[in-house]
Amino acid sequence: MSFRTFILGLSASFGAAWLAIVVVPFITMRNLEPIQLSEANDGSTGIFYPKRTGRIADGAKVYAENGCYLCHTQVVRPTYAGNDLYRADWGGLKADPDRGDTRRETNAYDFFGEKFAQVGVARMGPDLSNIGRRVESEYASPLEASQWLLSHLYNPRSEADRWKSTCPPHQFLFETRKIKGNPSDEAMPFGAEDGEELVASADAKALVSYLLSLKKDQAVPAVLSFAPPKAKGAR
Amino acid sequence: MSSAIQNSSDQDALLRAGIDRSLRHPVMFFMTSGAAWLAVSIVLGIIASAKVHSPGFMSGCAWLDYGRVFPSHINALIYGWGFQAAFAVIIWLMARLSRKKCTSAGIILTAGHIWNLGVSLGLVGILSGNGTGMPWMEFPSFVWPVFLVSYTAIVIGSFIQFRVRPEGHVYISQWYLLAAMVWFPWVFITANTLLHCIPGHPLMAAGINAWYRSALVFLFFTPVALAAAYYLAPKVTGRPVFSYSLAKLGFWSLAIIGPWAGMQKLMGAPIPFFLPYVGAAATVLFFVPAVCAALNIFRTTLSSPGVVASSPSLRFMITGIGGLILLGLAAVWLNLPGSTLPLTQFSLSGYGFEILAIYGFFSFVMFGSVYFIVPRVTGREWLSRRLIKIHFLFSVYGIITVAAVALFGGLQQGIGQEEWQQPWQGAATRAYPYAVATTIAWCFILFSNVFFFIHLALMWLRLGRRSLHPTLLVSDAHHGPGPHGEEGDIDNAGPGHVAAH
Repeated sequence: MSFRTFILGLSASFGAAWLAIVVVPFITMRNLEPIQLSEANDGSTGIFYPKRTGRIADGAKVYAENGCYLCHTQVVRPTYAGNDLYRADWGGLKADPDRGDTRRETNAYDFFGEKFAQVGVARMGPDLSNIGRRVESEYASPLEASQWLLSHLYNPRSEADRWKSTCPPHQFLFETRKIKGNPSDEAMPFGAEDGEELVASADAKALVSYLLSLKKDQAVPAVLSFAPPKAKGAR
Repeated sequence: MSSAIQNSSDQDALLRAGIDRSLRHPVMFFMTSGAAWLAVSIVLGIIASAKVHSPGFMSGCAWLDYGRVFPSHINALIYGWGFQAAFAVIIWLMARLSRKKCTSAGIILTAGHIWNLGVSLGLVGILSGNGTGMPWMEFPSFVWPVFLVSYTAIVIGSFIQFRVRPEGHVYISQWYLLAAMVWFPWVFITANTLLHCIPGHPLMAAGINAWYRSALVFLFFTPVALAAAYYLAPKVTGRPVFSYSLAKLGFWSLAIIGPWAGMQKLMGAPIPFFLPYVGAAATVLFFVPAVCAALNIFRTTLSSPGVVASSPSLRFMITGIGGLILLGLAAVWLNLPGSTLPLTQFSLSGYGFEILAIYGFFSFVMFGSVYFIVPRVTGREWLSRRLIKIHFLFSVYGIITVAAVALFGGLQQGIGQEEWQQPWQGAATRAYPYAVATTIAWCFILFSNVFFFIHLALMWLRLGRRSLHPTLLVSDAHHGPGPHGEEGDIDNAGPGHVAAH
């Protein structure tokens, strides 16, 4: 075997896979067409475009820099690949007060606004695809929800039923400062001595805003919906 | 006639000595700084692992946040230790097998320093909170061009040496080395440009990242380690490689299967449907090249059990090849779509598999190579049999624990994750004891590698034994010819070959 044949063989065996699973899918996915809604199937017209509000780019950066993806995933797998959808509050809410069962798997339109989909490495903690929805469903107002997320970031073990949590505390995302004049509205209700107050840093606020934006439970167009017809009856 | 043979073997020995001398500083630089990074990586690994079960451990400092320490640990392991060990082996093996002296030691050393600077800056970047958040590519994005340039400067000489070598046989080791040298830049440039430079779909970026991780293991670390193993096994035992056609099968099956693996990590994610299945199939099929190579190397060495027992190089290398078989089995066992893949996809098993590949297989073969190469390039023998034994035993105990625990613990954790009627806490509780065991195992590995680093650094300072007897693991090996040849000859092809002096 000559050197030329050898290098050719290496390039061909590698190049085939390189084209088929990296380059071509990259180009195809890059130009992902928006989905046209149809009156007959979806009951509305226009395009499917899941809206997200919040400081997504900033928050995703904090999420990435502090390695949240090591323990938390952001993908709800279809039932052929795992049991994620059966959990009551992962793919949406099993009993959303307004919309009934909103659980669905993750789709390719869920990551708009992010540079890198934090699918995640392991699940030492729960999936976060719908953390925003989950927390807001437990608290009356969005403000309370963000307060809870902040206190959870400060000390994940603070609540009695979470004493075994292995989530690391992120106290460095907060700063203690002297109170000058009136205390801040945003001061945390704990963690500071007299004359001082504990406030969330810009990073912590961005992260919480990002987490609250994670609500991947919108109704999807019929072409993307793999839910059995029965579950749709609730709508 | 016999004086002609004597003459040519003298020239041969001179040539080998010349090659070794020309490479002393580059090889020792990569090995020693690699070993230092290995120790750093293990310390970071212990801190990270301790945080998995005790999150309060050293939590006051942002720089020691779990989410920063763990990526630093894995990146130091890969780019600090793994790549530098591979560089040492690539440049030395290619020079020896192509029978060419290294003429660019200065360039290689400079590039090596730049590489190390890249690793250091990258780690500071991660720890200070500037990581990219892409697994195994967490170094800030300015680091990868630095790596690419210094990589090219380091291996280009080896490529040229191969091209201008005297006509003759191409060794199996050279196939693997060339393949690694071609595949790595291709993989590295592809992944980094698509993730850092060209905006694409975020999910496909995650898919390419998973492919990159798999490709580093299967298309860089695996071929480099197999190149070293295919060199050490026949060289130290003095027997020819068991089967040439089996070697060919192993090589080309790796070339054909390896590049498809990786995207099974995104099973169930909304990327094109076939990608995760192809990835799972290729990862399972990795068993074929793994077993071909392992069988071949075992059959080559196991006919000389005494040599395996007494030669540190062979003992480490054979253990690494055992790790390769385990890796092949784990690839099958952990990646079956529909049965084990849903359990292991997001569990400790992923880490266990990576550590098994990088430490249990690759690093052991590299340790074997280090024990073989260093006496030749420094002209000194290893100081202490006991230090080598400590390194071996603690590494073996440690890696068996890390791998077994992560693989089985991951499956247990996965079972907990899939029990959707139970509260989520159950999965975390199942993983807890395994996390504790991992910390203890890393402590063992740290203990072993601190001694390795000290031993290696002393060798570079030329404080090794000025002896003609190679350091062997069996004490009475000095009576009669040792596995490295007649006494006083550390550079002999083995029994049955002409003596090299």
